[in-house]
This record gives sequence, C-alpha cells and structure tokens, in this order.
Amino acid sequence: MAYLELKNVSLGHGPQGRRTEVLKDVNLAVEENEFVAIIGFSGSGKSTLINLMAGLALPDSGEVTIHGNRVTGPGPDKGIVFQNYSLLPWLTVFGNIELAVSRVFPGMNKSERRDHVMHYIKMVGLSHAVDRRPAALSGGMRQRVSLARTLSIKPDVLLLDEPLSALDALTRSNLQDEILRIWEQDKKTVVLITNDVDEAVLLADRIVPLTVGPGATLAPSIPVDIPRPRNRTELNHLPAFRELKSHTTQLLLSFKKEKLSSTKSLPPAPAIYPADFTLGRPTPGKPRAVAETAA
Amino acid sequence: MSFKYRLLKAIDVAGLQILDPVVRLCYAEEPKVQLKRIGLFIVIPTITFVAFLGLWGYLAPKHTTKSGEVPTPSVVWDAAKGILRFHEREDAKTADFNLTGVRRETELAEVNARMAELEPAAREAAAAVTAAEQAAREKLAADVAPLSEAYREKRREFAAAAKARQAALLEQAATIAAGDADATTAFQRAYAEHEAKSAAEAEIIKKMRDEQKAAENARNPELAAARLASNRIEEELQFLRKRQALLTAENAPLRADELKAKLAADEAALLAATEPAQRLALAKSISTQRDSLAQLEAATYSRPWTLPDQIGRSLRCVFLGFLIASAIAIPLGLLCGLSPVVMAALTPLISLFKPVSPIVWLPIIFIIVGGFIPDPSSSGILDFFNAIPLLGGVGINPAFLASALTVALCSLWPTLVNTALGVAAVDKDHMNVAKVLRLGVWARLFKIIIPSALPLIFAGLRISLGVGWMVLIAAELLSSSEGIGKFVWDMFNNGSSQTFAQMFVVVFVVGVIGLALDRIMIVFQRLVSFDGAPTSL
Repeated sequence: MAYLELKNVSLGHGPQGRRTEVLKDVNLAVEENEFVAIIGFSGSGKSTLINLMAGLALPDSGEVTIHGNRVTGPGPDKGIVFQNYSLLPWLTVFGNIELAVSRVFPGMNKSERRDHVMHYIKMVGLSHAVDRRPAALSGGMRQRVSLARTLSIKPDVLLLDEPLSALDALTRSNLQDEILRIWEQDKKTVVLITNDVDEAVLLADRIVPLTVGPGATLAPSIPVDIPRPRNRTELNHLPAFRELKSHTTQLLLSFKKEKLSSTKSLPPAPAIYPADFTLGRPTPGKPRAVAETAA
Repeated sequence: MSFKYRLLKAIDVAGLQILDPVVRLCYAEEPKVQLKRIGLFIVIPTITFVAFLGLWGYLAPKHTTKSGEVPTPSVVWDAAKGILRFHEREDAKTADFNLTGVRRETELAEVNARMAELEPAAREAAAAVTAAEQAAREKLAADVAPLSEAYREKRREFAAAAKARQAALLEQAATIAAGDADATTAFQRAYAEHEAKSAAEAEIIKKMRDEQKAAENARNPELAAARLASNRIEEELQFLRKRQALLTAENAPLRADELKAKLAADEAALLAATEPAQRLALAKSISTQRDSLAQLEAATYSRPWTLPDQIGRSLRCVFLGFLIASAIAIPLGLLCGLSPVVMAALTPLISLFKPVSPIVWLPIIFIIVGGFIPDPSSSGILDFFNAIPLLGGVGINPAFLASALTVALCSLWPTLVNTALGVAAVDKDHMNVAKVLRLGVWARLFKIIIPSALPLIFAGLRISLGVGWMVLIAAELLSSSEGIGKFVWDMFNNGSSQTFAQMFVVVFVVGVIGLALDRIMIVFQRLVSFDGAPTSL
C-alpha cells in the first residue's frame, strides 16, 4: 500500500443545485520518500487538491489516507508550505519558527528548542536574519522562513503549494536548488504543486498532470528518470531532460485544447443591430416589426 | 546603525516627524529638500498661527459683552500667568502649614523681609491711586462741566422759547372769530409748527445729555493702571500676610507643640493633685486636649482648587473612565469578533446606545452611582477608590465616579467596534497556520488573533481616549466634579472680564492635553503595528 493515497476523491464548491465540481474522481498513490510534482494550469484545482491532502478541506466523496490512516483534519504531521508564506508578521524569523516548534515538540527545553530552530534557519541560509520581521524580508527570504518552519516540525508528508510561483525567476531557481539540496540530504515524502514544467522536471521523481477544471482529475503520471544528484546546468544539456519537458508541455496543452473543443459551442443568436430599428408610433393593422431574412 | 538614523527612528516612533527635516538639515542631507520641508511643516503652520492670533487680537475688542470685552491674546496670556501664580501661591501656603524648625524660621524671615519691602511700595501705590482718582475727578469735572453747563443753558433757552411760542399761540387763538374757517386752519398749522419745533429741541437736548454721560463714563487708562498696580501689590501683601499667619499662629506643628506642653503640664498637675474635684476637672481637660491634638495632627491646609490641581483630577478621571471602557470593550469586542452569535446578539444594543449623548448619560449615571453611595462620608466604594495609588488623594466622590463612568460609557464604542472588526478580519492564512499547528483556543487567541488585531484595537483605543477627553469636560461641568469642566462653569458664573479670559485659557489647556494624549496613543499604535503601516497624523 502506498504511503499517501487519494481514492476516488471528489470535491465541489457552491450551493446545492448549482454545484461546480472542482475535482472529480482523483486517484493518487505516493510512495514513502517519493517526490511527486502535480502540475496543471492555474485555476484547475491544484490548491484545492493540496488542501485535501493537508486536511484543510475534506472531500465530498472518496478518501485521503496517510500511512493507512484517514485524514480528517489538519495537523503537524502534514507540513504545508503556502504560496503566500503565511508568516505571522508580528513575530521575528526565530519567533515564527519557534511558535511551531514549541507547539509540536512541547517536551523540548529552552536551549534544545533554540538549537532546533537555529538548525533549520541555518538550513535555509537565513542565519543573518534571525531577528528580522517578515516585513523586512524579501519574498524569497520569506518563503525560506516558511520552508524552515514546515521542515522544523518534521512532518511525515511535506506539501508544497506553489511555493515559488510568487518569486522572480532568479530567486526561484535559487530556491529550487535549495529545495533539491535539502531533499537529497533528508529524504521525505513530498508533494509539490506547481505550474512550472522546468521546476517539476528538475525536482520530482514523478510528474502527475492535472487536467483542466472544472471536474479536473489526474492524468497518468510521467516518471522522471534522471539520476540524482541533479544539477541544473548539466540537466540543460541532457536530451532526456529536454524531451521530458517538451512532452509534459505538449500533454498539458492538449488538455487545454480538449477542454476548449469539448465545451459546447454557443447557440445561434439573432443578428439584430440598433440600425435595424426605426422610431415611430405603432399604426393599427400594421405589424410592429418585420423580420427580414438575411441573404 | 549610525546615531543619525537611530535619532530619526526615535523621532518617527515618538510621532515628532516635524523634527525630521531639522535633524536631516543638521546632517547637511539634501539641504534644499529639507528647507522646503521645514517651510511646509514648520514655517507655514507658524505663520497661520500668528495670523490667527492677529485676527483674534483685532476682532476681540470690537465686541463688548456683559462680562466686558472679548479678551485679546495678551489678556488671555496674562490670565494664564495669573492662574499659575495663584497655583504657586497655594503651593507655598500648603507647605507653610506643616513647616517646622529652621525651615519655618527661614521662610518666616523671608516673608517678613518681603513684606517690609512691599509695604512702602503698597503705600506709594495707594497714594498713586488716590492721586490718580483725584486727577480723574478733576479731569472729569473739567471735561463734563462745560458740557453740563451748555446743556443746562440750552434747556433753559428751549423752555423759554416754548413758553413764548405757547403765549403767541394763545394770542392768535384769541383773535379768531367763531366760524372763521381760514383763521382756524392757520391756527392749526401754527400749532403743528410749534410741536415740530419742540420735538427738534428735545432731540438736541437728548444728544447733549448723551454726550455728557459719555464724558462721565469715559475710561481713564491712568487710573486703571494705577489701580492694577496697587491691586497687584495688595494681592501679594495679602498672600504674604496669610503666609505669615500660617507660619506662626496657624502653623500646625507649632500649635501641636503648644498643646503638648499644656497637656504635659496638666498631666503633671493631675499627678500632684490632692482634691478629688480638681482631679476630675484635670482629667476632663486632658481628655479634651488629647482629642484636639489628634484632630490637629490629622489636619491639612484647606486649600482651594487651582486649575493645575483640577487638570490633574480631570486626567485621573479620564484615565479611570478609559480603563473601565477598555476593560469592557476589549473582551466584549473579542467575543463579538470570535462569535457571530454574540455579534448578532449585541449589534442592536451597540447601535442603540452608541449615539446617546453624554449629557443624557450623566444625570442617569449620577443618580445610579448615588444609589450605591448613600453616605459619601463613610462609603466602602469611595474608600476603595481613594486607596488606589496615583488615583486616590484627589478626593474621589460620587461626582467623580459618575463623570468617569460617563466617560467610560461614551468612549467604549470605538474600541468595541474596532476590536470586533480586527478579530473578525484575521487573515485566513494565519488561521490556517493555527489549524496546521493544532493550536488550542487560548493559544489561538493569544498567539494569533490578539496580536493580529492589536493595531486595530489600538486605533480604537486612540479614538476612545479622544472621545473620553471631550466627554469628560461636559460631564464635569454638569456633575460639578472638581476638574477642568467645573473650572469653566465657575468662571462662567463669576462673569467678570478676568474670568472670561480664564475660560479662553482653558480652551488652550484642553486642546494641548488632548493633542498630547492623542500623540501618546499614536506612539503606542505604532509600536504594536507590525507591518510598518503609516498611522494617520
């Protein structure tokens, strides 16, 4: 049995009767210590999917299990890194991580806790900004803090919800390398949500494309057979890498096309323009309007 | 960080951004920009203020009221100095009442020396007043005499003329034959002419009379100045005489010593006494003397309220009210923000009571507070408040409590509404963090919700304090609770031009204190706001 499993999961939004299905019959199995990237267009339900895994949302039907246990709510075993960092602005870098650590490991004494927090701050390379507040950090630094906070509570599953999509290209590639390094040092079960094909190919063991919503579901996964440790510059010269990238991109684009062709075309509408009307009083016995058939 | 930036940061946090360009200019940072900012933030406001003072000084004397002329800025400034002098003198008297030993003697010597110095000056001033009065009388006589002479002359003249005209009319009447229509018409015309002349003469007489009155009532600035100088010296002398008394005959320790000596003598006499009746009398006398000694030791100088004292009492009152308001509004606001049920339950009450004026609340609260304190001389509630450090000692009475509660009732709404809003608007992402960490109710409240709502709560507190300060003056005025409001009411009832000016002083005092309170709250607000959001000025 897989470590993290989604079985026939469906979830919709909206009131009864006008409900739109966001996800429909999603099935996924992630093995222990596997790095899976779920890739899809924006608005296709990626965040909803990760909320389901994190327990922040519960499925209408089907079930999510971790290690065979059904997920019924959020908890520190399912560490999530949010797209918009979700740092507490009134706490420092240290304070933000310490809040999580002291909650998850209440048995630690003060110096142990301090060492633990500092270890993760060092891991993401923020030792120089320990006492800064989020407002004084750049976007990339904030996301590092968020990552350190999630790693510090040692979750069973690490869920990354588009963690890098709000960052500029340079910072993003920098943090990608960082995530790669950290994961290769300390393997964990990771689900990464992304809309960046390069990122998915670079980081993941397996790419799972999400079809276009509403009623999105997961397409068959694409294994990434690039040996680790991976290196960005070397990868760019690897034909397999380029092939995989273009294959994934083509696949995603084909979903979009399919969706567009499957949506019903608009019903024909009468071609009436303001110029077709004239002002005047209705004369009895005369029809009010005469339809002319277009030539 | 260099000293410059630390200083600029401190200025910013303290809400004194007005000094920012000055500091930067001192460090020669972009002098042109700084000069422009100084012009904008310091020079222009100063010019406006000076223009305001000028306009005030120009317009005020143009309007005369029952309490004299509307005071000009300089008169108000003198009134402010007068208020301070009165306060300082009362301070001196209060100190004198309990002075002992060498201090008392040196003070007494100083007072005597000053009195000796002032007495000739007082005599001179009194003589100057007498002389000025004499001069004024003479001047008045000189000014008025010709006018009244001319007036009398004119009256006599007009009376004679009227008499002559009447006699002529009578003569004319005698010549008219009965039935002569033309002659009758001519007579009537002559009579009308006579009446018109009389009216014109009366008008001239009235004008002359007014002129004479104006001359009699003309202001004599020399006399006024002499009187003012004399009054000032007399006032100081009176003050010194009172101090002299307080340092000698009325001095508490001195009187206590005397009583103690007498008591010791009586006790010795009682020991030595042989007659039973004598013993009884002495025992009784000792007992009474002991009582009066205890009373004397507990006595303090009965000082009148001065404006600075009243300001202190008003500040205590507003802070008590503000504390009560915060203690009610913050927890209630938290509940409202956390629970839609509580919010729904309280919304009608909040909407209903929020717009009610302090003028309505005060009498109601006054009566209710009075119900809890049937006997102000021995009340547990008053003893409790009087025992609180910093707050007690200003003589907490039912009027004070009623004023404080009115302040609380009127100022709790902004905090309540803002707290509820702040709590209800906690970022969903922050709540997700709490969910993932499975924080308990209290941890959620104290680690996420309250810190996140704190900037809005403080914004509410700032508005509340401002409202409270405005409400307080009205409440004190109505409840006669010693404070700034009571001062205004007393000055209004005095109705002299001096007290009129003192009311103007209060305007500035209230304004400056309100401004300072607001500034303090801005500093707090900035300290708790985490996102560095600028706080409005």
